[in-house]
Order: sequence, then C-alpha cells, then structure tokens
Amino acid sequence: MRNDFRPRMIKMVRVVGALGLICGITFFYSRLVHVNSVTVALSFLLAVLGIATRWGLTEALAASVFGMLCFNFFFLPPVGTLTIADPQNWVALFAFVVTAVITSQLSASAKLQALESAHRQHEMERLYTLSRNLLLVDSREPLAQQIANQVAKVFDLAAFAFFDRTTDRIHRAGPHDIPVEDTKLRDAAMQGTVFHDSAAHTTVMPISLGGPPIGSLAFEGTAVSETALHAIANLTAITLERARAQQVATRAEAARQGEELKSIMLDALAHEFKTPLTPIKAAVTSMLSDGCTSPTHQELLHIVDEETDRLNTMLTEAIQMSRIEAGQLQLHKGPHSMGELVRAQVTKLAESLEGREVKLEIPETLPRVDVDPEFIGILISQFLNNAVQYTPPGSPLTIRTHEEGGEVVISIQDQGPGILEPEQHQIFEKFYRGKEHRERIPGTGMGLTIAREIVRAHQGRIWVESPPGKGSKFSFSIRSAPREPVP
Amino acid sequence: MTNARILVVDDEPQIRRVMRTTLVSRGYMVDDARNGEAALEKLRTERFDLVLLDMNMPGIGGMETCRIIRSQGDIPIVILSIRNAEKDKVEALDAGADDYVTKPFSTPELLARIRAALRRAPLTGTGTPEVLNLGRTAINFATHRVTVDGTETRLTPKELDLLHYLASNPDVPIPHAKLLQAVWGPDYGEEVEYLRVFINQLRKKIEPLPSHPEYLLTEPWVGYRLHLPKKP
Repeated sequence: MRNDFRPRMIKMVRVVGALGLICGITFFYSRLVHVNSVTVALSFLLAVLGIATRWGLTEALAASVFGMLCFNFFFLPPVGTLTIADPQNWVALFAFVVTAVITSQLSASAKLQALESAHRQHEMERLYTLSRNLLLVDSREPLAQQIANQVAKVFDLAAFAFFDRTTDRIHRAGPHDIPVEDTKLRDAAMQGTVFHDSAAHTTVMPISLGGPPIGSLAFEGTAVSETALHAIANLTAITLERARAQQVATRAEAARQGEELKSIMLDALAHEFKTPLTPIKAAVTSMLSDGCTSPTHQELLHIVDEETDRLNTMLTEAIQMSRIEAGQLQLHKGPHSMGELVRAQVTKLAESLEGREVKLEIPETLPRVDVDPEFIGILISQFLNNAVQYTPPGSPLTIRTHEEGGEVVISIQDQGPGILEPEQHQIFEKFYRGKEHRERIPGTGMGLTIAREIVRAHQGRIWVESPPGKGSKFSFSIRSAPREPVP
Repeated sequence: MTNARILVVDDEPQIRRVMRTTLVSRGYMVDDARNGEAALEKLRTERFDLVLLDMNMPGIGGMETCRIIRSQGDIPIVILSIRNAEKDKVEALDAGADDYVTKPFSTPELLARIRAALRRAPLTGTGTPEVLNLGRTAINFATHRVTVDGTETRLTPKELDLLHYLASNPDVPIPHAKLLQAVWGPDYGEEVEYLRVFINQLRKKIEPLPSHPEYLLTEPWVGYRLHLPKKP
C-alpha cells in the first residue's frame, strides 16, 4: 500500500497546481488587465491544453471545470453570479467546456501513448540485455539459478521464482520473497496454465518450447507487460534447452572418447603381450620339432605350447573386441560363396577338430553373399571352436547351409549337452560364460559377442536353438547377394 | 642341409636370440639387425639369401625397410608381424614382401615358409620357351628381364615363377590353390590375397594397360589364366 501513496500525493499536488493556474489567470484578467471574454476563454483553453500535455487527464478535467466556473462567475454578465443572462453567452460557455474537455482528452492520450512507447522501448532494451546476459552465463555455475538472478536483476523485479521441472527445484531471486506457493509453480508447469493474482500482483506462467512445459516462472509486480513476460519465458526455455543439449553432447563425446581410449589401451596392451609370446612359442615349438627330448619333456613342452596358444587366442579376441567396441569394424565386402568360406575354415581348423567327423551339407546352388571373408571366417571358426570346446571329444558336427527367404543361413549342429533355456539369451552378451563351464573350460566370454557384432555389421541375424537332449544348433544368416556373378 | 644366409631384423632381442638359435641349429647362417637402418647397412656390405623382417620397429619401420630392400634387389623377404588383418598382409606384399607370417608362429611353420621363399620353382622341363613374347612385351625367363616397347624392368623371383607357371599352361584357367602350391609350396593354398597382389604387380610390369589386362586374365571364382596372343 505504501507504494500507492506517493503517486496519489503527486496527483493531488498537481490538481491543486492546475486550479492555482486557473485562479492566476482569473486574477490577472479580472483585476489587472481588462480584455473581452473571448480572450479570457482562449487563455483558459491554452492553460487546460498545457496541463493535459504536461500532467494528464485528471488535472486537465479539474482545470476545465474550475475554469468554466470562473469564466461564468467573473467574466460573463451578470458578473459576480453563476447565472447567465444572455443566451449567446450560454453558447460561449458550452463551446469553452466542450473544447477544454476534448483537448485535454486528446493531449492526455497522446501523452499516454508516448509514455507507453517509451516504456516498451525500455522493456525491449531490458529483454535485449537479458538475452545477451543469458548467452554469456558462466557454464561452471548452476544455470537455473543464474537465469532467475538475471531476470530479477535486468527487470528490476521485487521477487521472481523459477521452477525447473527436470531438476524439480525452485530458484528464487530478487529482494523480496515471492508470495506464491511452491505447489502453484508446479501446477503451472504440469498443467500449462497461467495464474494471475491481481490482489497480490503476482503472475505464474508455464514455460515451454513447443512441447510440454519444461518449467514455470512467477513474479511479483505489474511493471512487465504480457509480451515481455512471454519473451522472458521463451528466453528462459531456449537458454535451458541450449544448455541441456550442450551437456548431452559433451557427455556423449566424453563417453565416446572414454570408450575409444579403453579400446586403444586394450589393443596396445594385447600387442605388448603378444611380443613376449612370440619367442616363447618359437622356442617351445622348436624344441618339440627337434624330437630329441624324453616323452615326459615332450608332454611338458606340449603343455607350454598349448597354453601359449590359449593366451594368444585370448589376446586376439581382446584385440578384436577392442576394435569392434571402438567402431573400427571396417568391412571389405565382396560376393563370396559361403560354402567355400566354411570349407576353408574346416580345413584350417582340421588340427583342433581332433579327428571329429564334420559333415558338410552345402548345396552347390547356394547364391553368393556380400560379406567380408576375413570376418565371416572368424565367425565360422568361433562357432567351430566353441563346438569343439563345449561338446564331448569325438562327437560329430554337422554344418548346414541353405537359402531361405532371400537369406543364406549357416548352422552348426553339435551333439553336446545343449544350453539351458535361460542361458540361451545370455551367451551372446559380453563376458557371459555358462555356469557349468565357467570353472572347467577356459575362455574369455568374448567369442560369441564378437560373432554377434560381426553378424550385426553385415545386417544379419544370429541365434541358437537347443531343444533338451538334442544338442545345440548355432546359426547365422546373411542376405544373399544379387544372382549375377561379379568378376 | 643348407647354408643359406638369413638376416633376422627385429627390435626384440629375445626374438633375435630364439631365431638365431633355431635357425643355426637347422644349418642356416644367421646374422641379425635391430632396426631397419642397421639391416639396410648390413645388406649393402654383405650377401644374404633371405630377410626375416619385423613390421613394427622403431625408426623407418618394417614396411619402409621392405620397400627399400625390394627396390634394390630380388632377395626374398618374409615379414614377421603381430597384425593379422588382411589389409596388413596385402600392404606388406604390395611393398615387395614374398610372404607374411603372423606372430606368434610355430618354428616348423616358419621353417616351411623360409624353405618356400628360398625355393625356386623348376624352370626347366615343362617345354616353356626361355623367351615369351606377348605383343609389345617380351619376357626373358633366364635373365628375369621384361621389355615393354623397349623399356626394361625386372621381375622378382616370385613374380617370375608365377608368370612362368602360367606360361607353361597357357590359356588354361588355373585355380588359386594350385597356383599357390606350385609357386610358394605345398603348405600354401588359402592365401588368395598373395595372388591378387602379385598378379597386380605383374600386370603393372607386362601389360600395356594394367587396368585392362590383355594377357593376365582373372577367371572369376576360379583363378587366373595367361592368354597368349594369336601368332600372326
């Protein structure tokens, strides 16, 4: 209420001043200089016009009414009474009153418009300052609080509150505590509705950028226009969204770099480990091929040789895994016969198949597939190695290839113990190893993940079927290439 | 059994040690170098029959060393490398290597590769002429020289053997595996990328238009064939 007191006082003083001016003119013409009534009326009009332009409508109207009375009393005959004898003078008085009221209204509204446009300009300047300040906020400090502080500071608000829906926190700024409940801010953000409280001069409105509201803001006072308010809401929303997008991008970049670094480290480490493996392997195979050691030594040397191979396989898998994770799986695709790729791997792995019967069911009419032969080779050998490791020695394997719905399907059927239903989905996950085998059979848990990634890179599918008691069947499928051979 | 001289180039002392011990016990004469620069220096002053070259070395590195050695002569080069991607193999073969062995390797395998690299395919007895004329190209198998429109280039031993084998079976498509076994040795057969690289190099040397070969033809899905021009 204290705030309203000063403007009222000012207005009272001005009204008194306006009346005083009319008194002055009356005194001047009635006592000092005698002129005709037309000159007096014009002088009154001039004064009213001046007051309207300078101070406003109320003061001008007061001056008009008072001027009309004075004009009647002091200058229109019979002088000294408020009565008018001559009907001509009625017309003069009426003309004076109408002219005074219209001029005061016109000039007052012109003044109001000038004031309003000055106000708008000021608001625009503030909005510009706000947008500039919001662009330059310090990214190391909490952004939402900085926004609240900037709005309160730039718009000179007594109280301002800003509710950020993502963090569910309310940020306050300004010298006063805003008389708005927290729930009202939350409601505005949830429902997207605007609340006005004209008694407390508070406004609560949601902020959104097209989609659902991302928060709400509340402020006290009437100094901010509706347009400016919407602009503030939009600026706040844009600033928040920009910061969020930047944060997400930074985080993703950091995660990617971290992953890349990990892969580079793994790759380097694996290569470092392979270097000492080389002389070990060379030395032990050299001794084995000399054949001049006792059977006991031969057996021990075989163990060293086999374990060297195992270490080497693990390191190779680690390198492949790191490449795949770093997104470096570059395929050199070409049309290839899946049958040939399968046969090549079976020949290559003949030694580790340990005399097992491998039945190949490969039709001659199979279409070619557009694949990277190196990676498909790794994939097939992974399937074969798994079959050798996880099924009883000597049990037969069957490799089948067939065409089905535009895809070439390759499957390896074993006669092993099979895979339990719940584990069938997990075995392709990184580092997963079957419960029963974890202790007994060496492995890294990366082989099938590598296989899956290779298949994915070829836009193919990979799966396992293992009905109880029937062994396991690992399959993958790749879309077949166009029929015509490419030279 | 043999007294071929082998130069082992590797920055890892343990690998040099085990190579020296193994190779000497199999009757080879061995010298070693710890980097490419030292190897080039040794090759300038001494005569060797084969180079075992590590890829990943400080200094000029294996790939560059291989290129320089190849630009200076025909000596067989066997690459030893930890990397086993096909891209790495093709790059090394392109740089002039004769073979590529992935570390860690077993000694019998390496010995087989060394024998294959030292071994020359028999040039006699198949009835091929000593000089082969292919239009503007003339190949002399005895002197390893190729003349295209009067410009002379040399073929490396493996290139020569490959071309010779194809020339002794003209106009017959020869499967990849058969070519590999005939030129590199019985342990080979899957290294199709070797053929691709060597055929490309041969095409650059003997074909007037290497991108549109007239003589060294690819037989899709099978292998390669040497097409002899009709005698006028």
